[in-house]
Order: sequence, then structure tokens, then C-alpha cells
Amino acid sequence: MPLILHIDSDRWRDHLRSTWTPDIVPVAKGNGYGVGNPRLLAESRALGARTVAVGTYTEVPPDHKDDVVVLSPWRPFLEVPQGKNVIHTVSRLADLVSIPAGSRVLIEVQTSMRRHGIGARELRHTMLLNALDRIKFEGWSLHFPMGAGGTSANIREAQELGKAARAVRPGPLWVSHVPPQKLADLGENVKLRMGTGLWLGDRGAFSVRATVLDVHSVRRGERVGYRQRRVSGDGHILVVSGGTAHGVGLEAPTAAASVRQRAIAMAKGSLDAAGMALSPFTIEGKQRWFAEPPHMQASMLFLPSSVAPPAVGDEVGVDVRYTTTTFDKVSMD
Amino acid sequence: MSDLSIRTISAEQHAAYLAAQPSASFLQTPGWAAVKSEWKAESLGWYDAAAPDELVGVALVLYRQMPKVKRYLAYLPEGPVIDWDAIDLGRYLRPLAAHAQEQGAFGLRMGPPVATRRWSAKTIKDAIAGGQQPKLGDVRPDVIEPSGATVAAQLRALGWKAPRTGEGFAAGQPQYVFQVPLAGKTQDDLLKGMNQLWRRNIKKADKLGVEVSLGTPEDLKAFHQLYVETAERDHFTPRPLPYFVKMQAAMAHQPADVCDFRLYNAHHEGDLVASTIWVRVGGHSWYSYGASSTAKRDVRGSNAIQWRMMSDALAAGASVYDLRGITDTLDPNDPHVGLIQFKVGTGGEAVEYVGEWDLPLNKALYTAFDLYMRRR
Repeated sequence: MPLILHIDSDRWRDHLRSTWTPDIVPVAKGNGYGVGNPRLLAESRALGARTVAVGTYTEVPPDHKDDVVVLSPWRPFLEVPQGKNVIHTVSRLADLVSIPAGSRVLIEVQTSMRRHGIGARELRHTMLLNALDRIKFEGWSLHFPMGAGGTSANIREAQELGKAARAVRPGPLWVSHVPPQKLADLGENVKLRMGTGLWLGDRGAFSVRATVLDVHSVRRGERVGYRQRRVSGDGHILVVSGGTAHGVGLEAPTAAASVRQRAIAMAKGSLDAAGMALSPFTIEGKQRWFAEPPHMQASMLFLPSSVAPPAVGDEVGVDVRYTTTTFDKVSMD
Repeated sequence: MSDLSIRTISAEQHAAYLAAQPSASFLQTPGWAAVKSEWKAESLGWYDAAAPDELVGVALVLYRQMPKVKRYLAYLPEGPVIDWDAIDLGRYLRPLAAHAQEQGAFGLRMGPPVATRRWSAKTIKDAIAGGQQPKLGDVRPDVIEPSGATVAAQLRALGWKAPRTGEGFAAGQPQYVFQVPLAGKTQDDLLKGMNQLWRRNIKKADKLGVEVSLGTPEDLKAFHQLYVETAERDHFTPRPLPYFVKMQAAMAHQPADVCDFRLYNAHHEGDLVASTIWVRVGGHSWYSYGASSTAKRDVRGSNAIQWRMMSDALAAGASVYDLRGITDTLDPNDPHVGLIQFKVGTGGEAVEYVGEWDLPLNKALYTAFDLYMRRR
């Protein structure tokens, strides 16, 4: 039995509708925030969005009718899908000259992120000014950091960079990580790219369930698993669906800023090299220990004798990071 | 073959000799000495004992003083003007070194006008698009000039030191330039060689009523304002206005009219949108300095003015229109590559020259100077 993401569809769609505005460009990239990109694109359309953003060129849907912004910057060595609906992001002066003439282009401006973008000093460079009319200019793109300095720092930076860029060529400003209610502070014609805040903004609409595949009683000191570890007490070994293939027990480097956050991040499925690790599986309201590191499609848990074991076929809860988990199935309930 | 003799000649003799050559660098005309007035300069001529009155080569030598001592680097920018295909270059260069030493030089630096390799616009475009970020010098050229290797081998044998790559001396001239060959071509051929964007922009400028005209010395001030505006945009240090006034005065009025020096202006509805300096010596023409306005980019004044300069070079009988230096970077991360791409759009070719060669005459002083230049 698989690892399933259950979505309370009414609750989720209520959240989507109350969050989305015509200024928001939904982002569908990577694993589709756990939900999957095809569904996100369909939901975007249902919301009324006529422009969506994807991460890379490989994520551009083959038969898209709407405009698709590719967030990863254009590079001369990338295979680029053809089509009038693709909007490219250009982040280097030279690429403005290299990209096929007539391409629809957002010009990315370097922010304090320091990831991609043309530096603010170069915005009036003759090369840029000359290249503006060999492309179809769609606007300026600004990608801001999260958290650090708070959103007020992002707003200030967006105001300054936006003003400088629009002085060179008026056009829409495409931003991320700016609170929707603050968009007006950046002037007219601002589009907000939104992924996590839109799709995962109401976690209560989501639950992840794994299935109990097997239950064995064990005595303290008996050896179990591939690695033949001794169990620490009497109880049960549970085999549950969900393993490394799903992303269970794998860790995306956490940005946790405090010890507590780090502990939570660890608990959400990272394995401690020191031996026992808390698993993301919850039984009777508590996270349970891994008996050994997760297998490819299932995990072995240890349940102490103080807790009555579930039966084979029962479902247990799992607490995972949606962006790093591949579910066997997404169930719209 | 015995060595030639060498002696100081007048600016008139110097210019007259150049005027009779198919081409020479404008940095080798006597007028250039007046532009670089902070350096001592002299015109030199080579004579063959067999015909003692007949010049067989000339050079403009600039003596650059070393800090704190009365010794000089003798510098021959893009010169000397001699027969570089000669079997024995030593006949010219040994007397040159002896003469420079008498003048107090601790070393010589020259930039032979000898091409080594050529890359077509298409080859460069493919190399940039390939994303391997090579250096131009690592890309397979379309043409390898036989004289390049011959000259380099001779210079080494004569004790000259090859240019160190990757260390642009501030005083030096570029090793890589971009040129549009004009010989045997019509205006139509030139247009066909350009990329679509260039052609489109030239048409657009014409349609929008951009007018390109020849400027006068009085227009230098307006040129300079635009040039300072361009420098602020592209982050380079602009030269002061007097430099250009001096350049115009010195270059435009030379004996034998050896140098054709022009200022071009592009106006749109009365606004100056581009202004450039164009130079020609014999069959070689250059786009030397250019400036464009930040406003009204869409009228394409830069393309219009380039097209006019190219056409006028063709009409004046030039065989080359030279857009001068490019860096050898083909890495799209490097802002310089944009400049190459702009020039590549003209459909010409990148040309590598043998570069600037040094002959130390006083080892200790030369080493000290070399260090000083590299630390600046």
C-alpha cells in the first residue's frame, strides 16, 4: 500500500481562491510542492490565472495554451522549447544579445540574493539599451531573499531596484517573497510569483498517510533489519509504506535558525548518524523511532510494548516536507 | 645583406612616405606625437646604402620616461612601418635598437602590424553559443596567416620578448581587433554580411529620420558631453575634452594629408543621438571613439552612424574598416563579450595580431619598469 497525500479539496480550493488575485502568478515547479505540476497548472487555470511560472525549461508543459514564465535564466547551451507562450528570464548582458531575436524576455536584476541577475550598475549599459529592441521586453524580474532582514528590507530593495529598472525601460515588475498586501508599495503593474504561500498556505488541508504492511513482536536485545541492530526494549516492529524513494528519511538542508527549529527539522525525517532517529511516522499522536534507516519503499519502526500496535492495513500519519517527498498518489478528498 | 642605416627624419618626410604606402596605423603618423605630448617623440627613417636618398621604412617612436630616472621606454605603437615580409628583419631592428639606446632608452616596445589568425563572425557566434566559454585564442581560426609565425620566429631569434598573454599593459594596444574587410565589396555586400538586427536597425534609423553628418572641430564639445554620458553608463574613465581637441588639431592637419580625420554626428529631430571619431590612413580606416545618448535609443543612431562610417570608408577606397579592440573572452558571464557580439553583428572578422614585443636594452631597468607597470 502506498504513501498517499490526502487533500481536503474544498478547504484547499477555498484557500487558493482567497489567496489568488490577478496580480499573482502561480509557480509550478520541482515536484509540484508534493501535489504535482500537472494538477497545479490545472488549478491555476481554474483560478483564472493566464500566466504561470515554472522552474526550468524541462518543466514547460508540452501543450500549454497560457503564458509560461521560466524562472531559471536562459543560457545559450540549454535546450529551449519553442513557442510563442514561453517567457524567458535573461540574467546576463551577453545573453540579451545571444537569445534569439524576438524572444519574449524578462530581465532579471541582481538583488541581495546574489543568485542570478544583471547588476544594478549595469542597467544603463549601452549593450543592454541596444539589446532591448531585439527582444520582446516583458518586464523586470526581482527575486528576494526570505526572512533575513524581514519583508520590510525586501520592500525597500524592491522599491529602489524597481525604480532604477523602470527608469531604463517602463514595464511590469515581477517579484517574489513580497507580502501580497505590500505590492501596491512598489507602484503600478507589479506581479507576484507565488508557490509555497499559495499551494501550501493552508497545511490543514493536507494530510499524509502511510499504510502498515507488517507487524512483529520483538523482545529486548533481539536483532532486526538489514543492519541487525538490537532493539532497545520489548515491543513491536512495524513495517510501513514510505522509504527513501519517497524522500522519507532524506533531508533537504534545513534553514532552521534556532535549535528548536533544527530539532523539528530533524524530526521531520532526517537521520541522525548517532543511531536511533525519530521517524516522521506518528502512531497514537507521537512520532516513533526508526528501528533502522528507511528502506527504499518502506520503513521499519520500533513501537514500545506500552503502545498497542496497529493492524496490518491500518493507516498511520506521516509528517514530511512536501517539496522533498514523492507521493505514490495524491487523493483529492 | 648588411644592416640598413637609421636616422631622424622630418614630419614631412615621414608623412610623405606613409602617404605612399597602401596603409599604416594612425598611431604611426607624425601627428600622433602631438596627441601624446607628455612623451618625447621622434620620426625615424631607414635607408639602404644602395639608394641613400630613398626611405625604405619609417617609425614614430614615443619615449616614455621611467619614474625618477632620465631613461626611457622607446615605444612604437602599431609600428614600425617597414617591410614585415623581409627575409631578415634584423636589418631594420638592430639599427633601431642601437639608435634607441643612444637616445637613453632602457628598452623598446613595438606592435608589428602583422596579423597571425582570423576568425569569421559565424565562428565566433558559434563559439559563444557553444557555452564552453573558451578564449578566442583557443577557438580554431578560419585563417592562419603565414607571415605571423615567420615574424614571431624572427623576433625571438633577434632577442625580442613575446607578449605575455592575459596581462593587458595599460600603455599597450589590443592584440585582438575586429575588422570588416571592404576590398572588392559593394554597399550591398556589406549589408548582406551583417546580421538581421543590424540591417533592421539601419533601416529603422533611416525611416525615423536620423540624419548623419560630418562634424566640425566646434562639434567636439557636444561629442565630449555624449562621450562622458556613455562613460558613466558603461563604467569607463572618460578622457578630458582637451585630449580630443588636441587629437583633432594634431591628426587632421598633417603633411601630405596622410591622415583623414573626421567627426560624425547623428541627429534625430535636432537631438544629438550619436557622435563618433573616424580615422583613415591609406587603405585602413578606423572607428576610433564613439558615444551615444541614453535617451532616444529606439531611433538607432549608433547603427546609422556606423553604417555611414563604413560606407564612407568604402567610398574613400579603404580596404578595411577597423572597429578596433576586443577582449579575447567568449564567456557570456563577462560583460566584455557583449561588445564582441555588437561588433560580430557587422559580419566582419576578429583578427589577432602578433602583439606587442619588448627588447630589453638595460636588464635591471627594464625589469623594474615591467614590475612597475604590472603593479599599477
